[in-house]
Amino acid sequence: MTNHIEIDHITKDYGQGRGVFDITFQVQKGETLGFLGPNGAGKTTTIRQLMGFIKPDSGSVSILGKDCFKEADFIEKSLGYLPGEIAFIDSMSGIEFIRFIAKMKKMKGLGRAESLMEKFELNPSGKIKKMSKGMKQKIGIVCAFMQDPEILILDEPTSGLDPLMQNQFIDLLLQEKKRGKTILMSSHIFEEVEKTCDRAAIIREGRLVAVEDMEKLKSGRKKIVELHLADENMAASFAREIAGSKVTGRSVSANVGLDMDEFIKKAGAYTVVDLNVRTQSLEEFFLHFYGGQNND
Amino acid sequence: MINTTLFKKEIKSNYILLLIFSAVLTVYGSMIVAMFEPKMSESLKAMADSMPEIFAAFGMTDVGTTLMDFVTGYLYNMLYIAFPCVFLIILANRLVAKYVDNGSMAYILAVPEKRRKIVITQAVFLVCCLFIMVAYITGLILFVSHLMFPKELNTAEFLRVNVGLLGVLVFIGGACFLFSCLFNETRLSTGIGTGIVVYSILAQMLARVGDKFEALKYATPLTLYDVEGLIAMERNAWICCAVLYACGLLFLAVGCTAFSKRNLPI
Repeated sequence: MTNHIEIDHITKDYGQGRGVFDITFQVQKGETLGFLGPNGAGKTTTIRQLMGFIKPDSGSVSILGKDCFKEADFIEKSLGYLPGEIAFIDSMSGIEFIRFIAKMKKMKGLGRAESLMEKFELNPSGKIKKMSKGMKQKIGIVCAFMQDPEILILDEPTSGLDPLMQNQFIDLLLQEKKRGKTILMSSHIFEEVEKTCDRAAIIREGRLVAVEDMEKLKSGRKKIVELHLADENMAASFAREIAGSKVTGRSVSANVGLDMDEFIKKAGAYTVVDLNVRTQSLEEFFLHFYGGQNND
Repeated sequence: MINTTLFKKEIKSNYILLLIFSAVLTVYGSMIVAMFEPKMSESLKAMADSMPEIFAAFGMTDVGTTLMDFVTGYLYNMLYIAFPCVFLIILANRLVAKYVDNGSMAYILAVPEKRRKIVITQAVFLVCCLFIMVAYITGLILFVSHLMFPKELNTAEFLRVNVGLLGVLVFIGGACFLFSCLFNETRLSTGIGTGIVVYSILAQMLARVGDKFEALKYATPLTLYDVEGLIAMERNAWICCAVLYACGLLFLAVGCTAFSKRNLPI
């Protein structure tokens, strides 16, 4: 497999611990890689270097074998980019902006813009200034995908979208993936990365924590299951069966990972009144997954 | 050499600004020409004699009795420099710093085009606006003058005055553009641009007032614009004028290069 995107030991230090430090990972041709990390972890700083907006203090970034800063114009021919911050030229209407970007990208016509607008139920005729955050995000998505580029760099693509549109977007990503696109997508939401990506690079406080196959990450991610049982005796006896569970009155809560089936079958022996399932937050997940190394 | 799509976009976004400023210059220009009357300029001269400092500050000393003296004295010493400078501060900021400040530069740069070509397009646009503006006011004043006072204004001399004016504006425009390229925030870009313009004009005003501050004339670029010298075809005046153009173009080039190489927080 060839690498389409290569990030090689880049450091960009903004002082006071901000920035990114010694980041290295690759995105292979045809792969979808999730770039996962909490807000302020350095995802956007890394992406800005990929886009050639900033130069790394040390290390190198390349796309399609070309230097991201010096040969940005070459790379852009096959790149679609969705910025993390929504910022357009306010005085234009949505459709004017889309046309403007299409021309700037040297496209003939609007490419896939029409079908994308339909998919996301976007009416781009109004002034951008007066649009909601979600609508602006949709315009950004249209601009990134309309040229049908080989490589996509998406910075928090679903922010501002309602759940229905988030699903539409995931749908679109899966489609693009099938068509062999190379995708780098940043996010702070595990679920959307889980649904679309082959691998994930995890960044925290400017440092890369891990680059893992999605399967392995999924297996490390636990769900917090809370059961309400018929009475307190039942709760106490069920809790004895499940290692690491906590009892409060009639409810039992436990972290459940791969042993979900076993957990459910054991619970089947009791009278279950109610059941809540919550997935670990990204922070909880990091603490859990890398708990051994990052106990500081 | 330039990106035509972006150039057209800038025309669309900025023609109104150019129209507004041209309209203001039109009003002042035609008013001043219309006010010309050998007799009246004598009474104005009497007024100037009564408060020489104030008239001197605005470059209105020794306003002679010809239409050329009148027009250059009342327009080209102050008004036709100050107003276009305000236009330049706004325009230069709009062309680069504003896009960086609000983040939309990310879209403009995420296209298969060298960053250098994008910023050169903006610089060329700025110079084109200046050229149009100066060409327009030149034509306007020539037209109004010939209409009202046929054969009073020497066309060749007046063209030279405007070649000089364009030089001043290229200089100031270049400086404003340079700051627009260097800073991430609109606040800084316009702030420093305004500072330079206000300083240049104030220093010139003070230098004109009297002997005490005369040395200040060496500290403002506006001194390089020698209206009388240009009319009289003096060699020195042309050299000064060439320096204005050269510095202005240099600022533009430095701005473009700096922008092409620097880190952008977008």
